[in-house]
Amino acid sequence: MKIVEKEIPFIQNQSFLLILSLILTMGSLLLMVYHGFNLGIDFKGGIKLQYKLSQSIESGKIQEALTKGTGEKILVQQVGQPSENLYAFELQTPKENIDTFSTKVTEVLKKEFQLETVTLIKEEAVGAKAGSEIFKKGQVSVIVAWILILIYIGFRFDFYFSPGAIVALLHDLLIVLGGFAITGREINLTVLAAFLTILGYSVNDTIIVYDRVRENAKKFKSLPIEDLVNQSINETLSRTIVTSLTMFFVVLVLFIMGSGDIKDFAFAMIIGVVTGTYSSIFIASPIYIFLKKHGHRFGMSA
Amino acid sequence: MTSSWRNKIYLVLALILLSLYALMPSILGLQSRLEEAEAKGRVLKTWEKTLAWILPQKELNLGLDLRGGIYLELEVSVQEAVSNRLDLIASQTQRYLSSEKIPNVIIERVPKTDRIRALLPNEVALKKLSEYLSKNYSNSLVLQKESNELTYQSEQKDEASLQALVGSLNEKLAPLGALEIERSTGSDTFRVVLPNEAKREEIKQKIASDFKDLKEKNEPGKVVYKPSDAYLNTLHQDSVKQAVETIRNRIDRYGVAEPSIRKLGTNRIAVELPGVSDPARAISIVKQSGKLEFKLVDDSKMTSPQHPRANNEIQDLIAKARVEKKIPEGFSAESVNQINEALKGKISSDSEIAFELQTDPIKKKVVAGTPYVLKRKAEVTGDMLRGAQVSVGNEGPYVSLSFNPIGAKLFGELTAANAQKGFLAIILDGNVMSAPFIKVAIPNGEAQITLGAGDYNTQLQEAENLSLVLREGALPASLKEITKTIIGPSLGKNAIHEGLRAALIAALVVVAFMILYYKASGLIADVVLGVNVLLIMGVLAMFQATLTLPGIAGIALTMAMALDANIIIFERIREEIKSGKPIKIAVNAGFSNALTAVIDTHLTTFLSGIVLYQFGTGPIRGFAVTLMIGVVTTLLTAYWVTHLIYEYWIQKKNPETLSI
Repeated sequence: MKIVEKEIPFIQNQSFLLILSLILTMGSLLLMVYHGFNLGIDFKGGIKLQYKLSQSIESGKIQEALTKGTGEKILVQQVGQPSENLYAFELQTPKENIDTFSTKVTEVLKKEFQLETVTLIKEEAVGAKAGSEIFKKGQVSVIVAWILILIYIGFRFDFYFSPGAIVALLHDLLIVLGGFAITGREINLTVLAAFLTILGYSVNDTIIVYDRVRENAKKFKSLPIEDLVNQSINETLSRTIVTSLTMFFVVLVLFIMGSGDIKDFAFAMIIGVVTGTYSSIFIASPIYIFLKKHGHRFGMSA
Repeated sequence: MTSSWRNKIYLVLALILLSLYALMPSILGLQSRLEEAEAKGRVLKTWEKTLAWILPQKELNLGLDLRGGIYLELEVSVQEAVSNRLDLIASQTQRYLSSEKIPNVIIERVPKTDRIRALLPNEVALKKLSEYLSKNYSNSLVLQKESNELTYQSEQKDEASLQALVGSLNEKLAPLGALEIERSTGSDTFRVVLPNEAKREEIKQKIASDFKDLKEKNEPGKVVYKPSDAYLNTLHQDSVKQAVETIRNRIDRYGVAEPSIRKLGTNRIAVELPGVSDPARAISIVKQSGKLEFKLVDDSKMTSPQHPRANNEIQDLIAKARVEKKIPEGFSAESVNQINEALKGKISSDSEIAFELQTDPIKKKVVAGTPYVLKRKAEVTGDMLRGAQVSVGNEGPYVSLSFNPIGAKLFGELTAANAQKGFLAIILDGNVMSAPFIKVAIPNGEAQITLGAGDYNTQLQEAENLSLVLREGALPASLKEITKTIIGPSLGKNAIHEGLRAALIAALVVVAFMILYYKASGLIADVVLGVNVLLIMGVLAMFQATLTLPGIAGIALTMAMALDANIIIFERIREEIKSGKPIKIAVNAGFSNALTAVIDTHLTTFLSGIVLYQFGTGPIRGFAVTLMIGVVTTLLTAYWVTHLIYEYWIQKKNPETLSI
């Protein structure tokens, strides 16, 4: 069983892909600026409660009762199987202490709907200050990981390779962020972990191609740079496709079967796997070629 | 077959066996079995005894998200700890100077600052004070001569108009900046604290024009001392450290298996309590600060006749303040603060309001609060406490307290000075527990806290809780919850089930794909992958690292990466075979050519793992841990063990073709 046999001229036919990438990244940027993100309570502070009630109640009615009973704007959603009577409540940091809020909610639910049992099965509360600190830490961690990876590439390869990997990374991250902005999916700590994994994956993929370029450059000294890179991409192509597909299967299964945090994680990874594969071929490699050809103009020397 | 060959195989087998050994308790559920036996007093069966002796007892450490439990992040109000300590220093120095027979000394803390102010009658007093400070506090307290305040004396002498004066001074001077107007009870002297030196003249003029009967007073012996930065720093660190220790003690008493309590940043504490069935009780035990203080009741016409509670006039003022300033109902620390803020200038400046709370015994809710007017300064504090026990007397259970030598001395002096004269309020966590009349001096440092109304059993329970909190060490400062996560145990089981199912199906899809695509080699990769997962779990169990839900995702991801390593190698081998090399050479070339790419990809992943571990908390750390362990085991299995299998295969069969 073979997936690819033919030499595919990747490097020669890519101007329209560059435009596509530009549109996608710019679109993501615009979306991020104008549409913004749905930050989870991990980052903006707030309370998330999950209750099991002894009977089924329409979530609209619960919302009404809670808003009246607590004076806070609470988002109510039924989760899980309808027969389980599971409800999730979410609100931004309330005026009162976060420590006592759930007691109040339990009281209102009991009183308002005359329920036998009202069980609080999950509670997450993050103070606004703590949340924004975690958010800052998250941003810092993405940047630190990014810098470490770049330093690593700079030393393991050379500095003609680094910029391509940088841009490819940014490209992938922007598109994934755009995906979160447009779907309104929540960005929480787990999703942040996914972003870091995507960084790692995107670099993995780029490194495989770079590794082959470096090897071939020693073997075929006279080959024009475009052909050299193109050949390297073709040689690693089976691996790229097989790996991306297995990776894709894993995250797709996690996305379909998982729920909650796992689902968000898998969603980020699905976009990340696709763009990560794409960017090492169509972003990182052309930048390497460009620098090899024109780098001396910016003071680069081999 | 060479001996180095055999050694390699033995090593791999040993690693697999070691992982299995570490995982056996989790597979058999040994720990829970033993715990259950102990709880029920059941005699262990022979095989259980044998296993418990052979195997490690620790099962896989499941994270909170998988087994349920509580995660709390608490903030220690270090500022509060510092001001408590400074109050204490102030009253100790005051006592020292009066024991040195120096009259007319007033030492008090400037509210809302780190400064302590001393008004001294003469140079001798100043000398004594600085001697005392350098002897007892070496260089931790810095004396300063300059002061940013003005002192005035009023011609008015009666209490009511003096109090009215504070109010109108506050009103007139407030627009000129953040000022404090202070007056000691019964005195006709006012202090005006300046917002900054630049405003001095402006404020002087304003007072001269608006308050004709106030005369500026020069106080030559006025000094201010404040803690040095280093001392402040130590106070901060100590209060957090002490809070961590106190919480740990309390939780140990409460009896949670494997709690984790650690310092987080400069003033935060993270508390993890896995598998707690009654979250509300656990949290209240952790948070109950148990701050004990003894304060004198201010008796300057503010209390009811024959009773320490605030008189009707002040009760009316409180009621009015609640309405006017829209202070919420209830008696939380915050609203009591607001009340005190609103009554500023209406009660004397060294006094404050505190409430004695009445709890409905059935609903367990606070239903009313009786106000008291207390001296702001605590005379004796909980850190001088030596012990607390529950005793039962004629009128029901009570908590008896005993103090350390310093506390006993202070307590004795305090009661001697006020015997037959006043009431002493016992304050726990800011609320008045009781305010008995001081009948006689209590020289031996024994005191009692009687409890509020309720039946005998509730009182006894309450007394036990109280003595536990007091005995385990009062917290130096109160704690504020900033993050809280509670996960019910059933939800944890669901999550583990769901995560495992997803991971299993993902694995099956991938395993099938590998066999389909790489045939026998794919099968080798799959077997090695199984070994990889076993090793990861084994390492997790051995080091008691925590497996979380994202951790399971991390394992799934590691599996994908391990396969990537094999795919890189297999593709290389295919290339070499295609270029016409014999099998043995092709395999070896494939492995060695792939090495750099495999190492580079894994090291970058390891780097992001490190960063995640550094910056992440809870579940994210779990993800980082499995990722990092996975990188190591993947290099070992996907590269090294696969290579070993190939070598064995070629050596044994010397095949013409390779199933790849």
